[in-house]
Amino acid sequence: MLRNILRLRTGRWAVGLLAFLLLLGLFGGTLAPYEPNQTVGDSLLGPSAEHWLGTDYLGRDVLSRILAGSALSLSGALFVALLAFLFGAIPGVLSVYLGRTFEWVSLRVTDTLIALPFLVFAVAMTALLGNGVVQALFAVGILLAPVFYRVARTATLGVEGSQYVEAAVLAGASTRWVVSKHVLVKVLPPLAIAFATTVGTGLAVIASLTFLSIGVSPPTATWGGVLATDLQFIAVRPSAPFVPVALILISVLACNLLADAVRDVTGESGRQLLARKAASSSRRRARTATANIPGGTHV
Amino acid sequence: MTAVAQEVVSPPGLPRGRLRRFVGWLGRLLAAFIPVFLLASLFTFLLGTVSGRSPAVIQLGENATPEAVAAMNAEWGLDRPWIVQYFDWLGSVLTGDFGISWATNVPVGELLAGRAAISLSIAGVALLIGVLLGSLLGALAAQYHGSWFDRGVTVFTSVISVMPPFIVGIALIAIVAVRFEWLPAAGYIPFEQGFWPWLSHIILPAIALSLDTVADMARLLRAGLLNTSKENYVTGAVVRGLSPRRVFFVHTLRNGVGPAIAVLGLKFPNLLGGAVVTESIFQLAGYGLFSAQSAVKGDVPAVQAVLVVAVILVVVFNMAVNSVLAVLNPASKRGV
Repeated sequence: MLRNILRLRTGRWAVGLLAFLLLLGLFGGTLAPYEPNQTVGDSLLGPSAEHWLGTDYLGRDVLSRILAGSALSLSGALFVALLAFLFGAIPGVLSVYLGRTFEWVSLRVTDTLIALPFLVFAVAMTALLGNGVVQALFAVGILLAPVFYRVARTATLGVEGSQYVEAAVLAGASTRWVVSKHVLVKVLPPLAIAFATTVGTGLAVIASLTFLSIGVSPPTATWGGVLATDLQFIAVRPSAPFVPVALILISVLACNLLADAVRDVTGESGRQLLARKAASSSRRRARTATANIPGGTHV
Repeated sequence: MTAVAQEVVSPPGLPRGRLRRFVGWLGRLLAAFIPVFLLASLFTFLLGTVSGRSPAVIQLGENATPEAVAAMNAEWGLDRPWIVQYFDWLGSVLTGDFGISWATNVPVGELLAGRAAISLSIAGVALLIGVLLGSLLGALAAQYHGSWFDRGVTVFTSVISVMPPFIVGIALIAIVAVRFEWLPAAGYIPFEQGFWPWLSHIILPAIALSLDTVADMARLLRAGLLNTSKENYVTGAVVRGLSPRRVFFVHTLRNGVGPAIAVLGLKFPNLLGGAVVTESIFQLAGYGLFSAQSAVKGDVPAVQAVLVVAVILVVVFNMAVNSVLAVLNPASKRGV
């Protein structure tokens, strides 16, 4: 799977960017040249050799704050996606098997969660329940769960209606057998795509929350928090938001590229794409034959 | 809400059995949305109960005696079972009474009134921009399919889809307000003081909030129009010699616009909800920021009021979207 992803250009970009972000998350804090929460110079300095990205209004080194904040910003997105996966995918698969009452209730809860105004609700939930990181992760995780619920349920319904599952049931297969042998294989690829996209969404949401200093109290460094202080003094340092904004965009982009690559590798069209790539690189003759494959890149 | 959107059915309007059909349609519409509203209001209410916040902590401080806390909880009716409290609260919300703020002892409705105008201005203008610009871009991209304009629209929609709205807001401030000083970066002027001052303060946040909707509208409208234009009945209409304008509006647009309208129902909660960050960036005292600040203070009635108003708006808006879809596509009344 990973090898197939690396054969696509989008996949290589995604993996490269994610590796960079992983390093940033793991070693950002130790790489930081200064203490992120200490005044180390005059306030609101521009970029210089000592402070590559200048200092903020309290005279703290901006580069150090961004590096130290990466771990929380990135791992927060990952946890949010994991929680959403747990809260969404499992009920999504089970909604097909646990009877009509559970199905009806879970569908209505999903509809409701989608109808809630996302950010306002996430902010209110986090702040009311104690305004901590854990509360923020749970609030966003629950509110993002419908994505996984929908994907898991649709995929499960698709497998459930197919003839080979019917045949397996007729041959005496138990529900547990059907789920573990047939359903999971079909449900996991779309869930993987949804997971990659949701990490991206989670990143943007966590950045929004920390921007509002919800879930993380001010002295702790996060990308969103750095942005918030940059924005207050944008008249003095107009180019300051560039780096945190770029980092957030790169992370979201990396997740979306990964989602695209996984979609290409696992989907029907993806297999054709890989086949076409292999064919065109190995034999030029194959070109005329593969040109007729339907479902090309343009929509 | 797409599941709901697909369930809801026939439009009013055919001459025979008109009233009966209309009542049936209305019934199914309400049957789909009432559970959503009840559940959403229940979540909103339980948020306050689960948080364990009480007016006593806000008004008496952390060191209040247990007796004083109990007395105050009884005074606010918080010693009753939560289910009783829920229906009591829901009943007064539905009659327009949002309770009294724990922090200020002022009716929450009064606190909300001024702020809601700001947030709804932004969300409304953003919705307008989203619909107008989105459908313009989508329709032109479909019309000139394959041209540089079409490719430009595709690039724009994919860039916007990865960009969190608050980043658009920051970019707009940095470029339009700070660098070129064309428009004010922050603040709000009520509509009563003139259209232009109002619009000049509203337009940047509205653009920041709307781009996401613009992109989705354009993408789905383009795809819908392109799919429809390949249908036999469109070819038939062209062959019969109908004018291009008539083919577009009567045949292509009417059948291809469905997904783009349906996505508006999904986007509307984000327009209302995204307002928190947008308000914070542009320093507008709207209801989003109000709810965030109230939530940090633990002022439960204020938070609940904001959330439940937003929920009501979302539910009403989605019912309107479903009605439009039903009118546009009478086939849905056969359950297709």
